[in-house]
Amino acid sequence: MQGRVLWRGSLLMAAGLCLARIGAGATGAEYQVKAAFIYKFATYVHWPASADADVNTPFVIGVLGKDPFGSALREVVRGQSIQGRGILIRNLGRLDEALRCDLVFVSSSQRENLPQIFAALHGVPVLTVSDVDQFAEQGGMIGLVTTEDNHIRFNINKSAIERLGLRASSQLLQLARIVGEPQADRGRR
Amino acid sequence: MSSSLSIGRQLGWLSAVSSGAALLAASLALLFFQLQEVRSSSLVRLETVADLIAFNIASAVDFNDPHAATTMLTSLKTRPAVVSAGIVVDGRIFAAYARPGASVPENGDLLMTSAGSRFKDQELTVYRPISSQGRPLGMLFIHADLRDIGQTWRRFAVITGLVAIPALLIAILISQLPRRVISQPILRLASLAAAVSDRKDYSVRAPTVRSAAEIEQLVVTFNQMLTEIQAQHAEIEEARARLEQRVADRTRELESRTEELEGQGRALAAANGELEAFSYSVSHDLRAPLRAIDGFSKALLSEYGGDRKLDQRGLHFLARVRAGTQRMSLLIDDMLRLAQVTRRPLERSDVDVTAVAADVAAELARRHSDRVVHCTIEPELRASADSHLLTIVFENLLGNAWKFTGLLAEAQIDVGQTSLGGEPVLFVRDNGAGFNAAYADRLFSPFQRLHDESEFEGTGIGLATVKRIVTRHGGLISAEGIEGSGATFYFTLGGTS
Repeated sequence: MQGRVLWRGSLLMAAGLCLARIGAGATGAEYQVKAAFIYKFATYVHWPASADADVNTPFVIGVLGKDPFGSALREVVRGQSIQGRGILIRNLGRLDEALRCDLVFVSSSQRENLPQIFAALHGVPVLTVSDVDQFAEQGGMIGLVTTEDNHIRFNINKSAIERLGLRASSQLLQLARIVGEPQADRGRR
Repeated sequence: MSSSLSIGRQLGWLSAVSSGAALLAASLALLFFQLQEVRSSSLVRLETVADLIAFNIASAVDFNDPHAATTMLTSLKTRPAVVSAGIVVDGRIFAAYARPGASVPENGDLLMTSAGSRFKDQELTVYRPISSQGRPLGMLFIHADLRDIGQTWRRFAVITGLVAIPALLIAILISQLPRRVISQPILRLASLAAAVSDRKDYSVRAPTVRSAAEIEQLVVTFNQMLTEIQAQHAEIEEARARLEQRVADRTRELESRTEELEGQGRALAAANGELEAFSYSVSHDLRAPLRAIDGFSKALLSEYGGDRKLDQRGLHFLARVRAGTQRMSLLIDDMLRLAQVTRRPLERSDVDVTAVAADVAAELARRHSDRVVHCTIEPELRASADSHLLTIVFENLLGNAWKFTGLLAEAQIDVGQTSLGGEPVLFVRDNGAGFNAAYADRLFSPFQRLHDESEFEGTGIGLATVKRIVTRHGGLISAEGIEGSGATFYFTLGGTS
């Protein structure tokens, strides 16, 4: 049993490591890494307890806008769970569908609609992740960044997360560059 | 004085040694405890650090951030014991840290798939798996060199020594206190006692001291004892002075009395000697004229007796002269014998009393063959005496017995021995004329006679002679008698066996 878990974890890590080295131009590989990151973000964030958040309801990851992952995100979450809940991937056609998600990835295609998205999700405990530039600085929660040496890193708007009762673990925060309106820059990059 | 130490020094050494031993034991226990503590705490600390790093570093591995992981591992540089540390992911080093001058171990040394600790030589490696949400991500190792712990321990030893040595010095200093508080008062007391003993000065007193209660009590008791001794000494001195005065008085008294007595004794002895010499020479000198009277009266009787010149009346006078001279001759003999008895030295020997008495009795029987006398002598009588003088005693006593039974048809004379108070007493008993008991004390004086010369002839010197002989032997003599019913003479010889 443990061996299987170990094997699967190793496989996952191997994939992550391999893909991390792939250049930004290789879009498919880049989004495989980002898909893995999205799943992992969910494991390092704690959602506030709510009536429908029990083990019988799936953990819903919504992709708002044009889906850049292909099958990568579904492959990453296959057989995995978040806090005992099965994971469901949903492509969101309408903005209000995002309200029923636990995590929403905002595709770069939605770059222009950020204010509306933030307004719609105002007060709703949904973790927002995007690779849109300055996503976290504009009011998003986690913004994915590609560094000059083609590594994927992330910025976190800690106050935006905490406002909604979500809690990012210190392990996650220590890897991120902390951004946001009132927050001092505590990040390392 | 000899090899024994003073009380204070002994107490000091005792407390110094005991506190030193306690200090040593405590130091050793502390060091041992520290060593164990350092060892176990270093392991615990290293494991805690490993747990913390494994938890914190998981996200860095998870998000594939070796740079962040390396930064976290580098925080171990604050722990000098850590030689190297690293994260192994899929058999490859994901991130590593090595102390300056050290290197990260080869992968082969890192084959470990679960949490644990491995000691090798003086080196400790702690392994911790890294995981996130139950997903294993890799393995953390931290390699530490425990030789540094030895240094830590040495530091502890030095610190313990630095604490223990001053503590020991302080303990020794404190241990000198009994010397001042206990030993010095006792020493003063001892020297005072010695001074009292040497000079016999009981008026000194020990000064009271602030010390242990027993020593203060000792000083007080010592002073009380001195007071008592002083009082007793004064009493004894006074009594001795009185006694000496009395002895001196008595001595003087005795000396004067002794002188007096000695003077009297010398005078008495001189007078006695003169008297004896006088009586001896008188007795001796009387013999010559007496012999002349006897001889010439005898010649007168033979030449002028018969029918020739002297008539009956003349013959009668001549016979009276002759009887007088014979009687005088007897008197002189007896007096000479009495004097001799006094002058002769006493020569004691074991004498066969029975034989002496029997010889005397046989001689008497031969002389008085006309008389019927039953003489009974107890056999096997023995005594320590001068045999010549004892013969004289029996001659007198048996002679008297013979004489005073002369009027009896059948006389009975007994010689025997009885005992008085365990001492043998010889006796001579007869059934003759006896004597008046009222005059018994006059019997033994010379020239005292209780019977008329006409009734029983005698000089009155015999019993005096007997008494003198018995006295010279250190014995006693006494007489028992009833007039007309016989007499018994008892005597001892002082030292008879």
